[in-house]
Amino acid sequence: MIRPVLARREKVIPGTQAVAFVVGIAVALVLGVVLLSTSGHSPAEVYERMFDSAFMGSDSLARTLERATPLALTGLAVAVAGSMGLWNIGAEGQMMAGATIAAGVAMVADGLSGPLLIAVMMVCGVAGGMVLMLGPALARSHLGVSEIITTLMLVYVAIRVVEWLETGPWKDPDSFGFAVIEPVPEQASLPGLFGRANIGTLIALGLLIVFWLAVSRTAWGYELRLAGSSPNTARYAGISLRRKILTALLLSGGIAGLAGAVQLTGSATRLESGLSNGYGFAGIIVAALALMRPSGVAVAAVVFGAVQVGGQSIQTLGVSSAISDILQAMILFGALVAAVFFNYRIRWTGPAGQLPGDEPEEADLAVEGA
Amino acid sequence: MSEAALIGLFVATVQFGTLVFLAALGELISERAGVLNLGVEGMMAMGAVSGFMVGLETGSPWAAFFAAAAVGALVGGFHALVSVVLGADQVVSGLALTIGGLGLAAYVGRNVVGERPETQFTDLGIAGLADIRWFGEIFFDQPPVVYLTVGLGLAVWFVLARTRLGLALRAVGESAPTTDAVGHSVMALRSGAVMAGGAFAGAAGAFLSLYMAPGWTEGMVAGRGWIAVALVIFGAWRPGRLALGALLFGFTLALQPRLQSFDIELLGVEVSRISPALLGILPFVLTVVVLVIISWRYRHRPSPAPAALGLPYRREER
Repeated sequence: MIRPVLARREKVIPGTQAVAFVVGIAVALVLGVVLLSTSGHSPAEVYERMFDSAFMGSDSLARTLERATPLALTGLAVAVAGSMGLWNIGAEGQMMAGATIAAGVAMVADGLSGPLLIAVMMVCGVAGGMVLMLGPALARSHLGVSEIITTLMLVYVAIRVVEWLETGPWKDPDSFGFAVIEPVPEQASLPGLFGRANIGTLIALGLLIVFWLAVSRTAWGYELRLAGSSPNTARYAGISLRRKILTALLLSGGIAGLAGAVQLTGSATRLESGLSNGYGFAGIIVAALALMRPSGVAVAAVVFGAVQVGGQSIQTLGVSSAISDILQAMILFGALVAAVFFNYRIRWTGPAGQLPGDEPEEADLAVEGA
Repeated sequence: MSEAALIGLFVATVQFGTLVFLAALGELISERAGVLNLGVEGMMAMGAVSGFMVGLETGSPWAAFFAAAAVGALVGGFHALVSVVLGADQVVSGLALTIGGLGLAAYVGRNVVGERPETQFTDLGIAGLADIRWFGEIFFDQPPVVYLTVGLGLAVWFVLARTRLGLALRAVGESAPTTDAVGHSVMALRSGAVMAGGAFAGAAGAFLSLYMAPGWTEGMVAGRGWIAVALVIFGAWRPGRLALGALLFGFTLALQPRLQSFDIELLGVEVSRISPALLGILPFVLTVVVLVIISWRYRHRPSPAPAALGLPYRREER
């Protein structure tokens, strides 16, 4: 029986991930058509509304950037851990933790001037994210506990703590019985750029650039990547894996926490249990699509921001905004599959496993080692 | 604490235990074959919504239960296609499955939110045994899914430990090239295991939406799928220990909503005055603590995890 086998391509085509990303978007859109038309909507109308609301006009672009900002920050948070081969899937919770500490500080330090208070809140945001990450990071570095599950579990903890604060200790006395926390002081809101966009977008962009420089241009970044890709080599080179794991995870948590503080001082008016709004989870997809590279994070964050803005806008057409979650996951699946076909080709093999013209075994090994 | 409340606590322990055990058993099958599937939460959500909808349509809880298992297998098949057949990253594919599954479940179920099922599983009340004081209600007056799950646990143990299929499954989880060389199909074994795991997760979701919390709401799985993933580690990839862990987590999940009504004091604080939101963090904190303890115990020993867990296999690269 002749059957297909995936063989690694000798020459990796440059820019494949970008193409895979586009393929992913196409796959998602096609599946979206199926989903929409089976439930009686007009795909063309829905997509047009999504595109218009996300890109047409400066207000639309501002809305897209507003959503792209937390996505870029959480995406970067996941990517920092990911560049060492670690998975921080709890950015959602660290974002909440960061926002919580920032909001708490804003309550006691509301006498500070705007810029100073915002700076303090940003630092507290980073600290909050790091605090929530501390347990999983230490458990991973010293005991080898999978960071995947521990970071995720703490998401539920962080969100429930905010729910508790909302209903109890931090409940706004002036809220007429609603379970809400008092708004952050007026002076603690980030200056706007245009429309709904604020300078949080520039903070995210700046951080992406800093991280790109740090990872690709410094010895620290090289060690980080080395520790992730070949731990044994790194150990021989005298790099402390434990310390690298701790640094990468704490940094990752800190950036996610900063995302919370930026969100609190930017788009949000108060701390609430819905503040993280799935940004931390979407950030995982953003980082995975970007292959943990900062440039990719920026692009994917804008695309996902647009998909989310579009998802909100089609509710007026009677279409569930869950469509945007489905599209986001489908983009990743599409890109994942496309990437496989860019890096591998299908080869048909016979019963003996080899057909005439196949490379000898050594060649395969050489390619794999490269 | 009254006797009835205490019995109620243990009845719920068995039910919550069943819920996480069923899902975790599926993940165990998949992981023993070497495939990590982080999509349990999404597969459970899809099982919950499809089970509930089939239940509404047919009025038969069993039809709903098995339809949910089929949907779970189908969703799991997606992970198998992407991560086993095409060999993409299992972590990424699984996470996408959870996010996409939750989104799709929300979309599919948008019109049945708030509806109530007409018929649902009824407690069996095994003749003669159900009347035993205390134990009768806890062990012999449960919905049929509980007993089915116990049976499935035994079946999974038997298949893994005592049959040729089980041997092949465990072998492919330890070393795919070796299994391939012996003549087994790595893809068939792993895909089958992932789909079986999906069926279990889907069925668990249906148990949730048909019996434990009849109805469908977005986010109703509420992290139980992730607890199932953690349980597999807790159970050291063995069905027996998995059952013990499931009871422990079942107890915590059952305890949490009841703590409020208990008139007890803990460290000088009246438990009934603690906010339910704060008590809600218990199962998740427990998971983290338990994982740390497990790793501490294994720090000088080789991990009990299947050796090839998470590693994709492509025949070319042997």
